[in-house]
Amino acid sequence: MSDAAPMVLVSRVSQTFRRADGQKVRAVDDVSVQIPEGQFVCLLGPSGCGKTTLLQMVAGLLAPTQGEIRVAGQCVRGPAPERGMVFQKDSVFPWMRVIDNVEFGLKCRGVAKPERQAIARRYLAMVGLAAVERAWPRELSGGMLKRVAIATVFANGAAVLLLDEPFGALDYVTKRQLHDVLLTLWGAGASGGRRTVLFVTHDVDEALLLADRILVVHSGRIVDDMAIPAPRPRNSDSLLLPAMVANKHRLLAHLGLEVAPAVPVLAQ
Amino acid sequence: MAGAMRWARFDPLGMLGIMAMLLIWAAMTRVLPPSSLPGPLSVGLRLGQDFFAAPELSFYGLPDASLSGSMIYTAENVLVALGVGAGVGIAAGLLTARSATLRALIDPVLMTAGTIPILVLAPFFLIWFGVGRASSVLLVALYVSVMLYVFAQRAASGLDPVFEQSARTLGADRQRILIDVLLPSTIPQILGGIRIALAGCWGLEAIAELLGAQYGVGKIIEVLAGATDVQGILAALVLLGVVAVLFDAGAALATRRLARWSVTTQIGHER
Repeated sequence: MSDAAPMVLVSRVSQTFRRADGQKVRAVDDVSVQIPEGQFVCLLGPSGCGKTTLLQMVAGLLAPTQGEIRVAGQCVRGPAPERGMVFQKDSVFPWMRVIDNVEFGLKCRGVAKPERQAIARRYLAMVGLAAVERAWPRELSGGMLKRVAIATVFANGAAVLLLDEPFGALDYVTKRQLHDVLLTLWGAGASGGRRTVLFVTHDVDEALLLADRILVVHSGRIVDDMAIPAPRPRNSDSLLLPAMVANKHRLLAHLGLEVAPAVPVLAQ
Repeated sequence: MAGAMRWARFDPLGMLGIMAMLLIWAAMTRVLPPSSLPGPLSVGLRLGQDFFAAPELSFYGLPDASLSGSMIYTAENVLVALGVGAGVGIAAGLLTARSATLRALIDPVLMTAGTIPILVLAPFFLIWFGVGRASSVLLVALYVSVMLYVFAQRAASGLDPVFEQSARTLGADRQRILIDVLLPSTIPQILGGIRIALAGCWGLEAIAELLGAQYGVGKIIEVLAGATDVQGILAALVLLGVVAVLFDAGAALATRRLARWSVTTQIGHER
């Protein structure tokens, strides 16, 4: 699309684990992919397919066994604040008040207290939690904790956001609300346009609603790379667009839930 | 503030237990002679009498001894030992929870040291460090450090790795992770360990003084035992017990304040 260097460049990356029984497992197998700046990419696949492992390598929490990952031209060696991560588990520190959690990344970078407080307040307001900034995390619901986690990575100014099944444990309504929160923050793109997002999920509808592009991961490889050009903002009607329905069938086939791709389902 | 006020309120059941114990004690004095078991009232009077000055102790080679002075000596040693032992134990526990190599090195040493009975260890300390404060303080500090080593290590090992991972992706370095993740997250369990260690400290310090010291409540008990002065021994023990309970109350209050974010400490204290 553009001739500028991609924001995220994964080149021939593999990750091999040794299981407890001594057997070698190739969780990620020679994966290469380029992601341009500002793109919202969903990594979709069944559990155990290697999508989380790939994300952890981009985050720098795990070093690739082979290959190289570059973000904004820089080779990834360990975690860094320009690659923010939202985890599947609750990662909000229970021993800090909500606002101190949102300020944490800024504090690590030495941003002065009044300034980081102002930034944290702004993002807390954007995720709808302005009223609970002094609360303890144990007083919040699961959905609210995810809002705090999202506000924290956005407040930290990460250029690349890595989300590892962030809404997997939430109910449908909360999940849909958080999709809106996430897309609003993504679209708001504070200073330099939209941020680049890698979003791991196993939920087909979630991927179709959120993504510009879906990478299907299976057995440690990227087996399909689909553009999702449906206009935004999307809603449940968007999923009924012919192109979306075709994409959904293709994704379900990849997950082994339908026999062949792009075969219309006959009414029974 | 409200928490502190609520704590200070007396527990009616606890009061009832103490009353019952005093009644049983008083009843037993009807059967036993005063030389074996003096009554609670006479022990209380003796406590008041010896509190600021106990001239009769000069006969046993303790010229300037008083119960209050001895208690302060013992309390100072306990607090210093607790501070030193906790510092060493917590640092070693947190470190070994994150380094398998260090853990393999330190675990067997501290675990073995912790199982040596104080009666076996005390003579060595008296030979090495003399009969001054150093002996009893180091002896108590050793047991405190072993206990807190275990508590800190278990707390840090049990911490979900997601918190440290999240901190690293937000840009935290090792020092920041120690200060803002490892220490605060383990504080409820460490404070629980400190409370248990503190409770044990009084007894250990008294034993250490009994076995060889020139001052302290333990020393008083030792000389009075030589003279079979049961009343005096009981007065010293009551004072030791009351001071221990007061310190435990202080520690409980500190735990509540420092660990108020934690769900478990809230449940543990809510009634």
